[in-house]
Amino acid sequence: MDRPRAIRSFLPLRPVEFHVLLSLAAGERHGYGILQDAEERGERIDVGTLYRALARLADRGWIEPGASDPADERRNNYRITQRGLEAGRAEAARLASLTRAARLGGLLAEAAG
Amino acid sequence: MSPADGGPSGGGAGRGRRWFRFLLLAYPARFREDMGGELVATYEARADAARGRGWIPLARVYARSLVDSIRNGIGERLHPARTWYRSRSLGRDAELVVRRLVRAPTFTLSVAGTLTLGLGAFAVVYTIVHQVLIAPLPYERPDDLYYVWRDYSEFFDLDRGWVAGTDIVTFQEAGGVIEGVAGTRWGGATLTGVTGERPSEIRLLQTTPDFLEVLGVQPLLGRGFAEGDAGEGRGRVILLTHSLWNRLGADASIVGNTLRLDGEAYTVIGVMPRAFQFAGHYSIGPPQTPEAFVPFDYELSTTSPGAGSFAAILRAREGTPPPVVVEAVNAVGAAIDERDFQGRGMKFHPVALGPDLVVEVRPALTVVGLAGLFLVLVLLVNLATLLLARAVEREKEFAVSRALGANRIALVRATLLEGGALGLLGGVGGAVAAIWATRAFVSVAPPELPRLGEVAVTGPIVLTVAAVGAVLGLLAGSVPALWATRTRLSSLLSASAVRGGGGHDRARRGMVVTQVALSLVLLSAGGLVVRSFTELLGTDPGFDPAGVLTLRVPIVDAESVADAEARHEAIERELGSIPGVVSVGAASGLPLTGGADQATIAVPGAPGNTGDPEADQPLVDQIQTRPGYLETMGLRLLEGRTFDPGRPEGPQDVVIDEQIASRFFPNGGSLGATLTMNELELRVIGVVRPARLWDVHEDGRPQIYLRNQGDYGYESLSYVLRTSGDALALAREARAAVARVDPQLAVAELRPMREIVVESLAEQRASAVLVSGFSLGALLLASMGIFGVVAGSVTRRRRELALRLALGADHARVLRQVMGEGAVLIGLGLLIGAPGVYAAGRVLDSLVVGISPTAPATIGTVAAGLLGIALFACWLPARRVTRIEPARVLRQG
Repeated sequence: MDRPRAIRSFLPLRPVEFHVLLSLAAGERHGYGILQDAEERGERIDVGTLYRALARLADRGWIEPGASDPADERRNNYRITQRGLEAGRAEAARLASLTRAARLGGLLAEAAG
Repeated sequence: MSPADGGPSGGGAGRGRRWFRFLLLAYPARFREDMGGELVATYEARADAARGRGWIPLARVYARSLVDSIRNGIGERLHPARTWYRSRSLGRDAELVVRRLVRAPTFTLSVAGTLTLGLGAFAVVYTIVHQVLIAPLPYERPDDLYYVWRDYSEFFDLDRGWVAGTDIVTFQEAGGVIEGVAGTRWGGATLTGVTGERPSEIRLLQTTPDFLEVLGVQPLLGRGFAEGDAGEGRGRVILLTHSLWNRLGADASIVGNTLRLDGEAYTVIGVMPRAFQFAGHYSIGPPQTPEAFVPFDYELSTTSPGAGSFAAILRAREGTPPPVVVEAVNAVGAAIDERDFQGRGMKFHPVALGPDLVVEVRPALTVVGLAGLFLVLVLLVNLATLLLARAVEREKEFAVSRALGANRIALVRATLLEGGALGLLGGVGGAVAAIWATRAFVSVAPPELPRLGEVAVTGPIVLTVAAVGAVLGLLAGSVPALWATRTRLSSLLSASAVRGGGGHDRARRGMVVTQVALSLVLLSAGGLVVRSFTELLGTDPGFDPAGVLTLRVPIVDAESVADAEARHEAIERELGSIPGVVSVGAASGLPLTGGADQATIAVPGAPGNTGDPEADQPLVDQIQTRPGYLETMGLRLLEGRTFDPGRPEGPQDVVIDEQIASRFFPNGGSLGATLTMNELELRVIGVVRPARLWDVHEDGRPQIYLRNQGDYGYESLSYVLRTSGDALALAREARAAVARVDPQLAVAELRPMREIVVESLAEQRASAVLVSGFSLGALLLASMGIFGVVAGSVTRRRRELALRLALGADHARVLRQVMGEGAVLIGLGLLIGAPGVYAAGRVLDSLVVGISPTAPATIGTVAAGLLGIALFACWLPARRVTRIEPARVLRQG
């Protein structure tokens, strides 16, 4: 690619993309780890959907492949890049403002405490 | 939370792994290579985790993985995740194609332009011919519908005569293969009392109640006619066409309301759908479209068998072969002849509805269609020439690419893609051009062209044209593609290096010869049609249309003939008082409108009688006139006088035309003779040159002019005003003058006589415009072809030509030589095209008027013109040889 596209032009991110960035922001993970993280957040992601997202995000330069998993060499760890962090923050900010709006609009109860 | 608790898979995972690997096949190879291992590992981890929870969750993982792979596999193929991966597939090819096409704008534009022209012309011709000649009529089982005409040829020269009301009743009772018979009769009525509208005349079709059933159509709103609607003394009902309904405001609540026609109240019972267009045929003359339908207000069985003024539409039983229908009609006809004509030979014949409708326009449309096809042929040849030239140009490029290891398949794919893209471009252009051109055609087409309203480029035609364009483009693209693959690499490299292309030369020359030949045929056809048209424009129609304004005023509620006459007089007086009007007249029918009744006449005791009753009792057109009409219309009086204002005692006056005069009185002396018509005695007071009644170019039947007074108190007359200036400028005053007599009178057909003349030539004009347009297109293309061949030849032979120059030939001589080669091709093309010119003349026979279809002068001129232009196209590039500097060219070599 000649010039990276502005992050804003990718927003809103697909849910699977946000889950990937969210998991990797906490540290390196392999694909299955990302799936498990997402499940803990209450969302089940299909394996194919995840790997296409990984390929897509790597292509954008938001994540990059890390070391192989010593336990299973087929598994590859991924880590987030600076641009990936920026993208994740931008999406989180977008979601936060939506949540604020939902609260003001009465769709969401006031946060307790 | 731990990122990894799914370790290497345990014992039962072998089957699972095979399954997940198999699922990977859903993904494109690139993605599989890149992500496949991880994907399978992750699936396995998921399966392991599920296994711990029992077999149902495990089964769910397997099932879900199938759905997942199908969905994402397809998704990945459609929207690849990676750009590097995308860039190596179709996207990159497309990018290359666009780049290549942009780099060769002349080529791109000429191919796309050629296709646009060709496909556009094709689509226009196809649309018109298809809609008018081929598309089934919008009735149920239209192939089983027939008109039945009376064949009067035993009595006089008329084989498409109206039938009588009693004939219709007899046919209706016949049964057998005759499933139903509807009768129709033309009429007109003045519509009044519509808010915001002047009184206007509408064309009415009186029908039998079964009319809609016979055609197999349903009204859009309300109901059709019922059995009880027809006959004497019933409540008057009317069925509106969609267009009249629109004119009246398109209000659905109109059903049940009343309209005032000729002062009578009619209840609207229904509205026909838009698609229903009934083009009812006149026994003579072009088809007409009615605006509303009313049932007969009398019993057909009570009409006179001698009064032929009805049309019969017959529906045959489903799938009856036409000969059987003819037989059935003949059988019934024989019975009618026996009953009503004492077996004197009245015959009936059925004509299928579709062919009957287009009987008058078929020859012209056939010629236009053929001309269009020829143009498409020329275009195809042109396209092939262009692509061959392109292939040769790219020969070197291909050779080098392949030498550098380019994939042969990839080259072919790119070339095909290029052709397809060009073709699609041309196809879309052609479709757009066709939409415009068809609209343009509809606006110049003769208004009486049947089903003109249905002529429009439809969605399927657009799609077809675009698809045909893409296919042609692919085909055309395969020419260079094959060129690139079939030749062996080494010979390709050496040949292009040495000669810069070649071998294609003979093919290109052949194509130029073909183009010249085709163009000659097309151009001579164009020349003939145009010549014939100018001939028509120059024909003397027998009257002087300049400055004449015409209008028709139907008088509908006259109480007596005297009453009608008084009104005619009043209207004439008011019209005559308009400043600028020189003279006024009125007639039952105007020239070139076919408005006349027919009658047989006899001139007992005239020297020209032969004793053969058919020759001695000719069928003539009779036109009722008021005094002053013949002068106002500018008919030429050859002998005697025209009508005096006052009506004489004794036998009526009649003015005959020169045909009758010379037939019955070959040595003159017709004045004062007595002529009989329907037992009436008429005294000849004058002889005129006839005003053409039907066509500008046909003499037609003999004519007689009668005085429209007394016994012939016609109710509807056309008035003609001769003005000293612009006829149309008086239109408003003319309307006002009629309204002064009675504001309830409708003014119909208000137009200059000049317009009637122009309209009567519309068919010829449309053919002339289209055919000559097509032939000029062909000429342009042929010239382009010649230009290309000569230009290519000059470029390719630069070295050879330079060598000749260096060896002492002067520029003029080399130029002559190059020109000579072009001239040979052109000459060959002309020779080959010559027989085609005669064939074209034969096809044109029915269309060309006033000149021989093989008029040598016209064809000679056309051939000379073609030769001149072709030579010019040859000279333009050939001229370049004079700029060759031998020394420099040879040094470069």
